Amino acid sequence: MSKFADIQIDKAIIKRAARGDARAHEILYRAFATPVYSLCLRFTRVPANAEDLVQETFIEIMRSIKNFRGEAAVGSWIRRIAVTKSLMFLRSAWTSRSQALADGFDDMTAGDNLSHGISRHPDDAMDLDAALANLSDVSRSVVWLHDVEGYTHKEIAAFMGKSESFSKSQLSRAYQRLKPMLEVAQQPVSADGAAAQGY
Amino acid sequence: MSRDEKDEEMIYGLTMEQRGDLRDSLAALPETMPPRAVWRRIKEQAEAEGLISSPRSRRPSTWYMGGGLAVAAMLVIVIMPGRFEATDSATEGQGFSVVPEMQASTQAIEVNTLQALMVESRQLESDLRSLPNEPRVVRAGTQATIVELEDRIAAIDYQLSETASQMSQQDKEIFWRERVRLMKSLVQMRYAQAQRTAF
Repeated sequence: MSKFADIQIDKAIIKRAARGDARAHEILYRAFATPVYSLCLRFTRVPANAEDLVQETFIEIMRSIKNFRGEAAVGSWIRRIAVTKSLMFLRSAWTSRSQALADGFDDMTAGDNLSHGISRHPDDAMDLDAALANLSDVSRSVVWLHDVEGYTHKEIAAFMGKSESFSKSQLSRAYQRLKPMLEVAQQPVSADGAAAQGY
Repeated sequence: MSRDEKDEEMIYGLTMEQRGDLRDSLAALPETMPPRAVWRRIKEQAEAEGLISSPRSRRPSTWYMGGGLAVAAMLVIVIMPGRFEATDSATEGQGFSVVPEMQASTQAIEVNTLQALMVESRQLESDLRSLPNEPRVVRAGTQATIVELEDRIAAIDYQLSETASQMSQQDKEIFWRERVRLMKSLVQMRYAQAQRTAF
């Protein structure tokens, strides 16, 4: 379940933040900085980019909190801003890298290159973080949005300006890449401590 | 297994169990805190754009408001001497308050609320101390949450110790209320941790 949903903020703090109160905004920042940064870092993989996105996210919060009506939880609202900013960043990064955007979120990024597939070594295969990093930016974002943040394919498609089937196929591709790691993780460990043979 | 689940297994190439494991593993990945400098950058940009009002710019208005209340109190005394003479004679030997009844009760409520929050906070600190020491082996997710809660409490304590003298009663109350809320979460987390260790 998303960690954003676990964070509760007093309504009085939201009201004060809407009036531009610096202290209230600092409380909001202290509460949400870690999940926002983690999400941005998960999407971009580069700390400096993630820091910039955190800044953009919280500036956007300050700009638009007056319009926050409290219909959804504040955590969901902040998460949505962070996701939008991160995806916008990925789009612009792809554009600057002259990626073929004719088919939208093309998944041929460096990380998706076949030579950078999931390591076949059991120790590396167990490393979910590394496995995620080996996915394309888009596939990784879709996995994260679907499996961790709990967004539906419809919502993910809306974020990315693509179809639901695009989201589903990205998830399917990502699973195929993560599958070897999951199978290793589920195999029994032999007496000498090594995972089952084959890798 | 339902037909939908079978279809999903076909589409994604992972069993429901594997998908469940993957979701759990993803959700358990540790979060990362952004560097401390990020908030400073956000604050500087927000102040430059006029999105937040720093405590310094709000202080004079607080001072004027306090002054206004004092003037109002004096006017009440001057305009309605009879009332206060009556009060004076009625309370002879019991001390005399120059604060109008209405204001006194409001202030009393504010002070009582603040004091109640402080007492509750102290009680929670005491509850926390009464719990057994943290176990040597802890769950990474739980520990990350505990560290985050402690960090947020520390941030509030810093505000309360450094700028409490410049804060209005309302500001203090918001900070103390937030502290109590975070302390409750921390006690619950530590209690759950202690229970897991015990069994």
